[in-house]
Formats: sequence, C-alpha cells, structure tokens
Amino acid sequence: MSILSMQDLRKNFGATEIIRGVDLDIETGEKHAIIGPNGAGKSTLFHLISGKYAPTAGSIRFKNQPIENLSPYQINRLGVARSFQVTNIFPRLSVFENIRCALLWTSGYGYSFRHLLDRQRALNENAGEVLEKIGLAGKAQIPAGEIAYSEQRALELGMAIAGGAELILLDEPVAGMSHSEADNAVRLIRKVTEGKTLVMVEHDMNIVFDLADRISVLVYGEVIACGAPAEIRANAQVQEAYLGEAQAHA
Amino acid sequence: MKALAAKSGVWAGYLAVLLLLPLIFDSILAISIFNQMAIAIVFALSYNMLLGQGGMLSFGHAVYFGLGGFLAVHALLMMENEAVYFSIAFIPLIGGLTGLLAGVFVGSFSTRKAGTVFAMISLGIGELVAASSLIFTGFFGGEAGVSGDRTFGPPLFGMDFFSDVDVYYLAAFWVFVSTVFMYLFTRTPAGRMANAVRDNPERAEFIGYSARWVRFISFCASGMFAGIAGGLFALNYEFLTDENLNLVTSGRVLLMAYIGGLGFFIGPIIGAIILTLMNFLLSNYTELWLLYLGIMFVLTVLFLPRGFAGFIMMHRLAWLRGRLHTLALPYLLTGLPALLFVLCAVCLLELSHAAEPDLHFLGLSLARDSVTVWAALLLLATLGWYLTRKSVPGLRRAWEAANAPDAEAAREQAT
Repeated sequence: MSILSMQDLRKNFGATEIIRGVDLDIETGEKHAIIGPNGAGKSTLFHLISGKYAPTAGSIRFKNQPIENLSPYQINRLGVARSFQVTNIFPRLSVFENIRCALLWTSGYGYSFRHLLDRQRALNENAGEVLEKIGLAGKAQIPAGEIAYSEQRALELGMAIAGGAELILLDEPVAGMSHSEADNAVRLIRKVTEGKTLVMVEHDMNIVFDLADRISVLVYGEVIACGAPAEIRANAQVQEAYLGEAQAHA
Repeated sequence: MKALAAKSGVWAGYLAVLLLLPLIFDSILAISIFNQMAIAIVFALSYNMLLGQGGMLSFGHAVYFGLGGFLAVHALLMMENEAVYFSIAFIPLIGGLTGLLAGVFVGSFSTRKAGTVFAMISLGIGELVAASSLIFTGFFGGEAGVSGDRTFGPPLFGMDFFSDVDVYYLAAFWVFVSTVFMYLFTRTPAGRMANAVRDNPERAEFIGYSARWVRFISFCASGMFAGIAGGLFALNYEFLTDENLNLVTSGRVLLMAYIGGLGFFIGPIIGAIILTLMNFLLSNYTELWLLYLGIMFVLTVLFLPRGFAGFIMMHRLAWLRGRLHTLALPYLLTGLPALLFVLCAVCLLELSHAAEPDLHFLGLSLARDSVTVWAALLLLATLGWYLTRKSVPGLRRAWEAANAPDAEAAREQAT
C-alpha cells in the first residue's frame, strides 16, 4: 500500500514550469531516493509535499487523504516531517531546546501556557533519548547556532524524526560533508528511520545506491524512471540524462 | 535541586527588595520614583514578550498600556459616582483585561507576519489610536485627558490609598505577580515556541506549529501585561491623557527594553530602572536630557547590542575562570579618560544651550562667553578622547587574556 501518492502534480512559477506532471507512489516502509540533475525540481517537489508551496495542479494524498492545500504545520501534524537542504534550525535555542520543540506538538502540548517545560519528565526524557540517538547528548546545552556543521545536520535530522512522523523527507542530508562525516550520517539515517518511510533527495550516488530500496529519476520536472537501484543503473535513458554526466564529473 | 534553590533565592530577594525599598528610602520623591519604576518594569517586560522573546518589533505598544489606563480611570470614575464598589486593588485587572481584548483584536490581523509588516501595522495602529484619543473626547477627554480619584473604594488591609506609599505596596504586589507570570510564560510550550518562531518561523511550521498562532498568543499576553501596567499608572497618577497611548510612550518602552537588554529576562527590568532614574534625576537638572537619552540609545545599539544585561553577562566567563579582577585596572584606564571626555562633551553641550551667562556644573562656575573656557573644555575633551582610544588595545588584550582557556592564559603569562 502506498503511503504517499502524487498524481499529475504540476508547479509553475510564472510562466516557468518546474514540475511538469509527476506521478509517483511511495510505498509504506520503503526508502525512496529522488535523484536528478541540478534544476530538475527535486527540492520543489519536496516543498510541494511538505506544504511550503501549493501545487498549480494535480493531487497529493498522504494515507489516502488529500494534502495539497494544507499548510506545513497541518501536514506535519498528520505525520510528515522533513529536513532541509540548507540547515534550518533554531540557532539561538540550545540543542536540547531544538529537539524538545520538535517533540512538543506530537506530545500533545499544543499551544499550552499552563505546563512548565522543565517539569514534563516524559517529554524531557524523550528529548534526551533523541539526543543520544543522534550523538549530541554532550552538546545539549550549547546554542544550536554554535555547533559544528555536521552536528547541525545531525540535529536537523533529529528534529525531523523527533515527532515520530511516519513519513520522513530528507533534502540532501549529507550535502557539504566530508566522506567520513557522510558515512556517519548514512549510518545515523539508517538507524533513526528504521521502520519508517523515507524519501530523500541526494546527489551522492554512492549513498543513494547504498541506502535506497527504490530510486526515482527526475529530469526537467518529470519522472523518467522509477525502480530498484539495479534497474536504474541499467537504464539507458537514465545513464544518458544523468548518471553518465555525474560519473564523468566524479 | 541546587538550581531550584538558587532560583527561589533570586525571587525571594526580588520580593524583599520590593518590600524593603520604601522603608530604606522613605522620602516622597523616592516613593514617587519607585511607583514610576514599578509601572515601567511591568510595561517594559510586557514589551520584551514581543520583541525579545517573540521577535516582533512594535512601535505601538503604548496602545495597550493607554487603553488599559483609560478603562481603569473610568472604573475609578464609576466608583466615584457610586455605580460600582470594589477594592481598587483590582483596578490593574481591569487594565489587563482591556489590554488583552485590544491585543486579541489587533493581534488577529497583525501577527500574520513578523518583521517589517508587523512593525508597520503596529505603527499604523499606534497612530490611529493616538489620533482617535483626540477625536473621541467623550471617552478619552481630548487634550485635557481624564482624571479620577482612587480613594473612593473600600480600604484594604488598613490602607486607604491617600498616600503614595499605599499605592507603592499595591504596585509592588502587581509587579511581583506580573514578573512571576511573565517569567513562567517563557518556560511553557507557548513561550518556548515564541522563541522558536522568533529564530525561524519556517522551521516552526514544519514541526507542527502555526507561526501566526504562536505570535498571536504572545501578542495577547503582552497586551494584557501592558494593560496591567496602564492600570497601575491610572492608580498612581489618577490621570490619563493622549500622551499615554501615543508614539512617544511607545518609543520610550522600546528604549527601555533595548537599553536594558532584549535577550535576557532581567534586561527590561534594568532598562526600566535606568530610564526612570535618568528621567527623574536628569530632567531636574537639564533640558537636554532627551538628547542624552538619544545619544545613550545610539551608543547602546552600536556598542552594547545586548544591552546592559548583556554587558553584565559578558563577564560570566571571566568570572567563572576566576579572572574578573584582572579587568579592573584596564577598565579604569579606559573608563577614566572616557568619563573625562563625556563630562567635557556634556559641559560643551550645556554651554551652547545655556540661557544665563554662567553655567554651574560639578561645583564649577563656567562663563558662557569666555573663549578660555571653551578652549580648555575642547582641549580636555580631545585629551580624554585620545587617552580612551589609546587604552582600548590594552583593554582588548586584557579581555582576551581573561576569557582565554586556562592553558593559553598560562602561556600568555609566561611570555
């Protein structure tokens, strides 16, 4: 059964068509990678799913419920969480507070001004567990804007998974990392998304083929191929449009 | 546990200071300064809920203060006309309720966006309400304002509120309660998410929170506490005019919060105390005090962007490393010439403004028209400026040494 389903999804900015009719089904529990050359519309597709942009046409269904006209916070409350290509955290709040904030809504606190956060034992323990998981327990009290880049990426990931969302969208989770940092990040992603559905945009082909169960190739706003890593590797059209070029550069 | 004890200690100290102040300084002038401080503290803290905690720059915060105050004065008038009868201890609640309702109304459309849009709407609302106060004279009393009398209510604990001291204790109660609640608000989910939305509204939306709704809650709470401050103002002065809700008052609360330090809960309290003191002390001596206030604000923005509270907190690291004392001499070496410069500059400003031929300043009698006096002052000012500039690198070195990790500091001393 598919957890997320897009039908004839389109997005224009003025006269420019960025997404030109995407049909894509994400199966429950799979790790799905979206690859494609620069400017193919990968990030835009993420923004459409997560509600940052409203589509020009087409439908997006999450667990059979249409979400294409909902706000980001409404989509998040249904169980879709995401990370960002450019680190997007709360820089002046401590690492711990960042995670705790990401837990608040799903822990049922809403906009409460009757609960004192420091007294919420279960909430604080949960936040501590997430910090342990992403390896930042030692930096809990440092302002998030002051930790190292790769640590901020881990925090970003932690915030995406903290709320217990079923569908996690990761936008280039290892961008800008060294090889060893990227290896750690992949291990971390594998660990924290266990049992969840993962959709990721990524440029690093080693990581994509390592992590993904299925891959979709997006070129000029259209999905030109979708399948298991081996199929994608063998697909002539894909090689021409994307892989050949990427390998030539690598 | 230790942290909890320390925190309780701070609050107990705060309460003790509030209660003991009028016993230590018991002159009429002192009490009237304390009353004004109490009002300013609540008002400035409420402003910081918007700007410091929630990232909303408002140019119209006096609207909630003023409306709360006007409603409170009208409540006093009703009591005078025997339409109602209750203890005036509850008057600030009327102000708070008014501020809350005004906040709900304005916030419903102004909190959609932060940044420039919010700032412009707040400016527009501020101007609109200030203008209305001169148009709807039935309620606002026009330029003459509205006055009431606080002594018609029943006495409370033997206080009849004829004297300012009685008002002080009532105000101290409300200041303490308001401070506690505003502090606790920062520790709740709504308060913490206000910080998160301030830092990054986009991210807040992707963890399930509507940035607009988060801002709206802070905005309403802030309006309510501003209204409480307005109610206290009405009790203290028994008199409100359009000036209490116009842009001058809005600007002054911004200055208080900013000069005190937006990033710290205690910052606006410090700012409120400093500005109230300056207002009282300087305005008695010089007509130029608003000019000095303006200069002080500009200097704070330029050199102490985190305000006085930030300046104090800057020394935490040096203090923790046990090297705070090493800064005393360098501070003196920079501070004394800087003080000389400031005094000479103030003297020159006062001279150029003086109406009488002789200016009395710090025990000196200076002739306004004497070239020698001007030349000497200019020379001294230049000297002060030069010495200040010259001592800054030394201060910077001392600062770095005081804050350096231990190993580095040891190496520094060895060389």
